[in-house]
Amino acid sequence: MEIKSADLALSGLTKTYGHSLAVDNVTVRIGTGEMVALLGPSGCGKTTTLRMIAGLIEPSGGDILIGGRSIVNVPVHKRNIGMLFQSYALFPHLSVGQNVAFGLEMRGVRKAEAARRVTDALTLVQLDHLAERLPTALSGGQQQRVALARALVIEPSVMLLDEPLGALDKSLRESMQVELRQLQQRLGITTVIVTHDQEEALTLADRIVIMRAGKLEQIGTPQEIYSRPVSRFVAGFIGASNFLRGHVAGSDGGTTLVALQGGARVTVPTQAGASGEVMVALRPEAIQVQPFAGQNDAAPNTTQATIEQIIYRGSLTHLYLRLDDGAPLLAFHQNRAGERAPAELSPGGRVVARWTEENNHLVADR
Amino acid sequence: MTTDTAPSLALPQAGARRPLGRARSGGALMVLPALIFLVVFFIVPVAILFSYSVLTQPQNGVIGLPLTLSHYGHLLDTPLYLHVLAITLRISLWTAGLSVLLGYPVALTIVRGTPLVGRIVTIILVAPLVVSIVVRTYGWQLVLANNHSGVANWVLSFLGFGPAVLRVMYTETAVVVGSLHVFLPMMVLPLASSLARINPSLEEAARTLGAPAWRVFARVTFPLSIPGLIAGLTIVFSLTAASYVTPAILGGNYAQMLGNLLEQQVVSVYDWPLSSAIAVVMVVLTFVVNGLSVFLLERRLKTRRRLSEAR
Ligand SMILES: Nc1ncnc2c1ncn2[C@@H]1O[C@H](COP(=O)(O)OP(=O)(O)OP(=O)(O)O)[C@@H](O)[C@H]1O
Ligand SMILES: [Mg+2]
Repeated sequence: MEIKSADLALSGLTKTYGHSLAVDNVTVRIGTGEMVALLGPSGCGKTTTLRMIAGLIEPSGGDILIGGRSIVNVPVHKRNIGMLFQSYALFPHLSVGQNVAFGLEMRGVRKAEAARRVTDALTLVQLDHLAERLPTALSGGQQQRVALARALVIEPSVMLLDEPLGALDKSLRESMQVELRQLQQRLGITTVIVTHDQEEALTLADRIVIMRAGKLEQIGTPQEIYSRPVSRFVAGFIGASNFLRGHVAGSDGGTTLVALQGGARVTVPTQAGASGEVMVALRPEAIQVQPFAGQNDAAPNTTQATIEQIIYRGSLTHLYLRLDDGAPLLAFHQNRAGERAPAELSPGGRVVARWTEENNHLVADR
Repeated sequence: MTTDTAPSLALPQAGARRPLGRARSGGALMVLPALIFLVVFFIVPVAILFSYSVLTQPQNGVIGLPLTLSHYGHLLDTPLYLHVLAITLRISLWTAGLSVLLGYPVALTIVRGTPLVGRIVTIILVAPLVVSIVVRTYGWQLVLANNHSGVANWVLSFLGFGPAVLRVMYTETAVVVGSLHVFLPMMVLPLASSLARINPSLEEAARTLGAPAWRVFARVTFPLSIPGLIAGLTIVFSLTAASYVTPAILGGNYAQMLGNLLEQQVVSVYDWPLSSAIAVVMVVLTFVVNGLSVFLLERRLKTRRRLSEAR
């Protein structure tokens, strides 16, 4: 299957319902063959955005361009978009093969060619042997693969997926994610996937778009979003994070010194415009925890704490620490195979937490 | 969506999701009163009716042996009776067919419109049911009257079509119009409940796959609403074929239906066996036409199902 994909651009896309803004001035460019995940909490406008691209909802403002051409006035059935629904939306009265053939039939593709392309598409999702079945006689994972074949067979310019794997159990979801990603990369098809599952976004996407209350909060590769979140919201949404409050106490060249409320000091690679009250985000896996050995260490990026709770989580051990000023600090200890938890640590014990400067990152407090 | 405002005529699938065993025998007990009622007031009379149609009524009026099929023969031999049978079929088929054409847009409006619109349309549709069918039919007589006093004629002449151009009163057309008005809700309600059960994302999927509105309807909405369509067709056809008041008032002598013929035979001629034969023919006719429509509509789905089960 050859797919001539195109790039997709949203420009100032807006949707209002009465007085509330479901989608608020969203602008993003998605390159040809790129896979982008729309990620955000429930009700932040992901589905609304996707359905506007598909043409199922009319935007209140802004523009949508595919291959540089505005499509806001093109009716749904002429947009040539492949869409996957959370409910699969397979036609229950048509066989698997007829479902996949539907889009070709609408395009007036000749019977013989349609049959060949349907077989190709079903082979792509490894379901060619089930073409005669009714969709109700398939498992959830199989149904969504049929829906995928049905969307791909029309060779869409853009693929839209609205929580396509949400109804599957965890292990099936993970294997489908891998399959979906491989297929998307092999076909080089521009794809937007909506999800509120951060793992899914990290697994699937070239870039992640974080949305919040209808607005675009941050766009970036998974690494950028994870290591350089712009706000407390993003840092908390992707992975876990500690947030340390303090104020800028000085700066030399590439390093800014931040004095925390509890007295400890941390150094942060200088970010533009940092002054006054700031918030430092610190990933739990960056923190090394050792038993307190007696001598006070006044170096930056070090603090004493008390262990409140130790929770074994398989590959990680979560250490819930409490700083002397009462602020919480979460640290992850990477377990080695067969190791249960750091033996020398126990609840109530005094410890020293240490980390390095490059793990500190200033975020906006919102 | 508007699912909760959509009136539901469709029966829930009996015991479909209930555990077997006790619940089932409990269910049997629950239908017992209705069953007894049906046997006493329906099965028994129908049996008597059927037996009358094959018995003899001599001059003295006492119905008895010998058994005979002569009443059916008489019915099929008499051109007038065959004519009435044909009229009955024609009127019922036209009414059922037109109720489908009128019913789909109304049902779609109820299901897909905003909740307020859906509710208003439902009320407009159902409200006439509280008015006696006799009153409503006389209403149609006033509207369709052939002379200049008929409302329709009055409006047409006002619009410049000339005086009393419309001559539909006492025709089959008048009976079809009257029957449509009476029975349209019986088509719309089951259709609406069928349509409301279609997952909206199916139609959206069809649209994204390239289907313009009419093809979405033809390939997705219509086939998935067939259960409601069958229910509506069956009800409308059966009720129309059995109607008496509407043809009596709007059809007069020119568009008599089997029901009117039956009434004459009982009340004027007092020929019980022939009347019973007419009644049996009405029942058989209804069953045959309904069976045929169900067969035709379900055939497609059935072949599909067989295909998939063969794998
Ligand atoms: N038809 C509508 N009328 C009014 N408000 C609506 C309508 N559809 C959506 N909204 C509102 O728009 C906002 C965005 O909804 P949307 O469905 O896009 O959220 P989402 O990000 O997809 O959430 P979820 O993760 O729960 O699916 C929500 O606050 C929702 O209440
Ligand atoms: Mg959603």
